[in-house]
Amino acid sequence: MRPAADPDLSAIAALPSLTALLRHRAAVQPDDRAYVALSDRGHEDRTITFAELDRRAAALARQIAGRAASGERALLLFPMGIDCLVALFACLYAGIIGVPMMVPRRQSARDASASILADCNPRLALTTAELLSGARGDLIGRFQHAGLEWIAADEAGEEVEAVELPSARRDDIAFLQYTSGSTSAPKGVMVSHGNLLANLEMIRIACGNTRASTYVSWVPLYHDMGLILNALQALYVGALCVLLPPLAFLQRPSLWLRAIHEYRAEVAGGPNFAFDLCVDRHRPEQLAGLDLSCWKLAFVGAEPVRAATIERFAETFRPYGFDPQAMWPGYGMAEATLLITGGDRRDGPIVRTVSRAGLLRHEAVPPREDPDAQPVVGCGRALAGEDIAIVDPETTARLGVDRVGEIWASGPNTAPGYWQNPEATEATFRAQIAGEADRQWLRTGDLGFLDAGGELFITGRIKDVIIIRGANHYPQDIEDTVQGSHPAMRRHGGAAFTIADDAKGELLVVVQEVERTERHRIEPAQLIGQIREAIVLEHDIVPHEIALLRPGALPKTTSGKIQRALACQLWLTGALDRL
Amino acid sequence: MPRPNVTESDIRDWCIAYLRKTVDNPSIAIGPDASFAELGLDSATSAYFIVELEEWLGAELTPELVFEYPTISALAHFIAEGQGGAADAAGG
Repeated sequence: MRPAADPDLSAIAALPSLTALLRHRAAVQPDDRAYVALSDRGHEDRTITFAELDRRAAALARQIAGRAASGERALLLFPMGIDCLVALFACLYAGIIGVPMMVPRRQSARDASASILADCNPRLALTTAELLSGARGDLIGRFQHAGLEWIAADEAGEEVEAVELPSARRDDIAFLQYTSGSTSAPKGVMVSHGNLLANLEMIRIACGNTRASTYVSWVPLYHDMGLILNALQALYVGALCVLLPPLAFLQRPSLWLRAIHEYRAEVAGGPNFAFDLCVDRHRPEQLAGLDLSCWKLAFVGAEPVRAATIERFAETFRPYGFDPQAMWPGYGMAEATLLITGGDRRDGPIVRTVSRAGLLRHEAVPPREDPDAQPVVGCGRALAGEDIAIVDPETTARLGVDRVGEIWASGPNTAPGYWQNPEATEATFRAQIAGEADRQWLRTGDLGFLDAGGELFITGRIKDVIIIRGANHYPQDIEDTVQGSHPAMRRHGGAAFTIADDAKGELLVVVQEVERTERHRIEPAQLIGQIREAIVLEHDIVPHEIALLRPGALPKTTSGKIQRALACQLWLTGALDRL
Repeated sequence: MPRPNVTESDIRDWCIAYLRKTVDNPSIAIGPDASFAELGLDSATSAYFIVELEEWLGAELTPELVFEYPTISALAHFIAEGQGGAADAAGG
């Protein structure tokens, strides 16, 4: 039996927009804390109530409403914290489309910023006074764009001018999420108010969240998981969300666990690597007195979820009261607002062992013997009001239970498309299953299978994206970095791909041809060091292996394109012609 | 408590020994003048490296140090000069 319906839940389910949602929270629980921001050392730094968030966002909205027209874009460049959420809601109140972005790392020379600027043509850039003053490098210099106006959102005074703010409708675009597409061709997912409210409701039902579901999150707010699954879901149900700076988590994962304990958090999660990091850095002497029995839902996603990670995390933290059934693997992507599949609270993770050889034949069957056994983690089922199909990516025919194919999704959380990119929108968001007309599906580019109970298992990927620590990277961007690192590197003569490692997850391998004329002039070890340095500085990932190849060693199509998948196969069999 | 009488070469030796242990790749030679990026330290591993160094030194350091002083030599020199925050020591 389900408990009696909560009147607050029926109220939020009927709301037309996110702005109405915040106004609702400010009206029904004005003095409850919406967000608490922790310092780098995990101490409580700042707090904001729902009423204050509403007031500050509305005040900032009145200031920016005069500087950009409704529907124009505003970059949101913030460190983790309350100012970012104030600015996001200010944009929503003003009808300006926010574009959350990562503050560029100081040491990277080149990133996606320039092409995102060109793509979304922003009128405003909202940030903090500290960042604007150059605390993290020359922000203004990096974001050169004609007509771009900078605003320090935390310095905007609380003037109360009588500016009328528009009221948002369900179909209005709330913000753009640039998590897809390479540096040269970024794609901004248009997320509407209706998409967000639909997905937030689906997440609430699956997670069983209530006002008491306190969150502790270190996942950055420019990351869709950090923004939607943490910060906005907490606001949706009226719960407190505690924000820990991401770097503080990387330095001391125990701060996250400590905060979960101190705030008696029910919900906290992150990409797979976060759980590995907690285990790798686990020092019992730092965790004396820790009680994690409050932690009811540990969601894990944004990158492949590994059975070994779930197991060792549960084993390590069970002595602190952590419930292994709290582990909650999920699957999603920005194109579906955020979440596509997830289990029910307290279901516990489902791990199935299938045959590796079977997966190569695109089917999930029991393994023959030990080396053939491959554990795969279930990522839950379709959410309320959504459908999932497994489809042959070539013929677009629907496949049955336990058959591996491309994962397609369709629901009210499917975004309308990519910002000003009808071609990519058509290909990704408007797919049709052969023989089943009249329904548009989202092609995820991921491979997997559904079992008889509708549980989704992810087994691979057909899109050209490398996912490391929950962040998407594009092979062509990494190859460009390699080829730009030294004149001896052959243009269009490199490939970046990943190999799966049972213990370490996805590992980056880079192979690069050397120019014929330079072959005898270079020092390979030094060159490899230079390539590694360039990749770390530009992309913040450490290649597992870098190999220099003889010119012409890489397989190419007749039109001269590098065949990455084939290069990977040749690499694994040792058949690439090394220098 | 801050570790007393730490010299620049002590810090350098500690960094080399620590990175030899953590950089899990035999093909990378750990030297004092290679950049941290060249040694394969991304933001996550360098942030943790600073925490470990901080604990060994008994003094607070900021994670940005590895970008400002991007080699073992430069970092050791900076810290030994006493500008690394060793003066305002804290327990961690």
